[in-house]
Amino acid sequence: MKHHFEVDGIDYPLWLVRCAEGYRLSMDNGVLASLRFSRQSERRGTLTIAGEREPVRFVIDGETIHLHMRGLARSLRYRDPMRAFASASREANHLMARAPIPGIVLTIAVSPGQSVSAGTALMTIESMKLETTIRAPKDGVVSRIHFKEGESFERDAVLVSLLEEGL
Amino acid sequence: MKRLPFDTVLIANRGEIAVRIIKTLRKLGLRSALVYHEIDADTLAVSMADTAIRISGLTPIAAYLDIAQIIAATHKARAGALHPGYGFLSENAEFARAVIRAGITFVGPTPDSMELMGDKIRARNFVQRNGFPVAPSTVEEDDPGTFLSRARAVGAPLLVKPSAGGGGKGMRIVRDLNSLEDAIAQARSEAQRYFGDGRLYVERYVEHPRHLEIQVLGDEFGHVVHLFERECSIQRRFQKLIEETPSPALSLEMRQRLCDAAVGIARAANYRNAGTVEFIFDGANFYFLEMNTRLQVEHAVTEMTTGIDLVAEQIYAAAGCQLGFTQSDILQNGHAIEVRLCAEAPQRAYAPTTGRILMLEYPDGDDVRIDSGILEGQRITTAFDPMLAKIIVHSPTRIEAAQKACRAMRELILLGCETNASTLARILADDGFLRGQVHTGYLDENPFLAEGDAESALPAFLAAAALLTRPVRDSADAVPELHAALGSWRN
Repeated sequence: MKHHFEVDGIDYPLWLVRCAEGYRLSMDNGVLASLRFSRQSERRGTLTIAGEREPVRFVIDGETIHLHMRGLARSLRYRDPMRAFASASREANHLMARAPIPGIVLTIAVSPGQSVSAGTALMTIESMKLETTIRAPKDGVVSRIHFKEGESFERDAVLVSLLEEGL
Repeated sequence: MKRLPFDTVLIANRGEIAVRIIKTLRKLGLRSALVYHEIDADTLAVSMADTAIRISGLTPIAAYLDIAQIIAATHKARAGALHPGYGFLSENAEFARAVIRAGITFVGPTPDSMELMGDKIRARNFVQRNGFPVAPSTVEEDDPGTFLSRARAVGAPLLVKPSAGGGGKGMRIVRDLNSLEDAIAQARSEAQRYFGDGRLYVERYVEHPRHLEIQVLGDEFGHVVHLFERECSIQRRFQKLIEETPSPALSLEMRQRLCDAAVGIARAANYRNAGTVEFIFDGANFYFLEMNTRLQVEHAVTEMTTGIDLVAEQIYAAAGCQLGFTQSDILQNGHAIEVRLCAEAPQRAYAPTTGRILMLEYPDGDDVRIDSGILEGQRITTAFDPMLAKIIVHSPTRIEAAQKACRAMRELILLGCETNASTLARILADDGFLRGQVHTGYLDENPFLAEGDAESALPAFLAAAALLTRPVRDSADAVPELHAALGSWRN
């Protein structure tokens, strides 16, 4: 069966199948063979790739797997293939300005019903003393502003929803 | 141990610097009192303080800036002294005056020194009047009508700077004099917004400058000593990421000249307590940048190489004690490097990140010091600065220190919130850094250092993630309801 992991917003489809030496992982751009993973404890394990052993530290938090190996930390989100499909179709009619970073809303420059063109400043946000302007991704009409001034949000949260003009 | 006129010190700060101050207070046999906002209730500093007093505000930052609440808390804790740490109110002369008026010893310089050095134009004029070098520059308020033409006369490239504030806010580099007018307008608007003070000045921008600073200590008997330099050239957005001492850029003679200038400036300002005189250095000449009238984030590298506890010295100086050593007693031993572990994503222009710390394991080893204010389980929010911890190493030579710091960054495990750890490791292993050929624009000119090498490791990460969740999905494949089975590893 095909599975998906999302890393930094990019979706990586992969296939994991049993083989004589353990598992084989097939991805779009290659194959890793003779894979094994042994757990030593709740948060510690060893990944073996073609006989090479790599210590791994991990925490599984909901659908996100946080891993540390080779001196690097990465978070991978398991994507349920059915749900990924559903959310993609739900977003199709809407244009959204999403938060590039987590933060709080400083000022809001538009109001619902207002027509905006691509690049119009919608709001300013602040995160750890860094100020950023959120701009309209496309032409449209402001349909909903999801946060009030002073409210905080996480990265990728929808800040402002737009409808295409005429809809 | 010296006798002190107080037995409790209130810390008007949070995070790693609050923890750092508590450690010295314990060592000196003093009690610590800490103010905290509710958002920080579960932090290491609150758990370590002898007394913790809750303060409130419209935002967490507003609480830590509330002078009346902090002074009331100091009285409530029966603290005879107050340490402001860095940031927040640490360089606010009005705050220092209010503390002193309330009969509390302020652990820092006099409000007058803070005022003199806190205004960059006043500080620059003062330094120049006393015969120390400042970069060719001109000040708007000397004659606003001719500011533009005077600025042009200084010659490109120029740096437009606000008189107030810091942290790189409102600063603009101008290479083409035709864009000077626009740059001045933008800088003024930013300075007005951030500091409520739109006054500007321009100075000649030194290309590829190095940032060097000298730690000084003064007492109220007029003694001023230096504790050598720190180099802080590895920066992003004019903010420091890696600091070290000694600087690889200085000859013995140049080091002496810089240290003499810093002591001269501090002495002219009648400076007491710990302070830092910052300079830019172009390889041949140095120019005064500003003086920070507080403890600095990067003070730890100086402590590692001199063996002097700067927080203890601050407390002694504030208590009216004489410095316990003279210049010839202070020696530089070995090499120290500090890195700032931050909640940020270097590959996305160092954008801040948030999350809950799910796993936290620090590197260990000889001469590895961790100054941290975070705990496993703690939530990293956007309310404060992104710095989470500092990792400081000490070795006999610079190369060994860089290797040790690099190893420490690869061994440090923090899961749940994205950090700059692997980027710091890459910088520490970079050829240019190891050769000591750095400048304040080094990270901008070498973007590959931020972009990372995670791509090449990605297949291994995907394999580990797939195998880790495989038992669940194997069973999921056997039943029709995928969601039901996924639930078993959702916690």
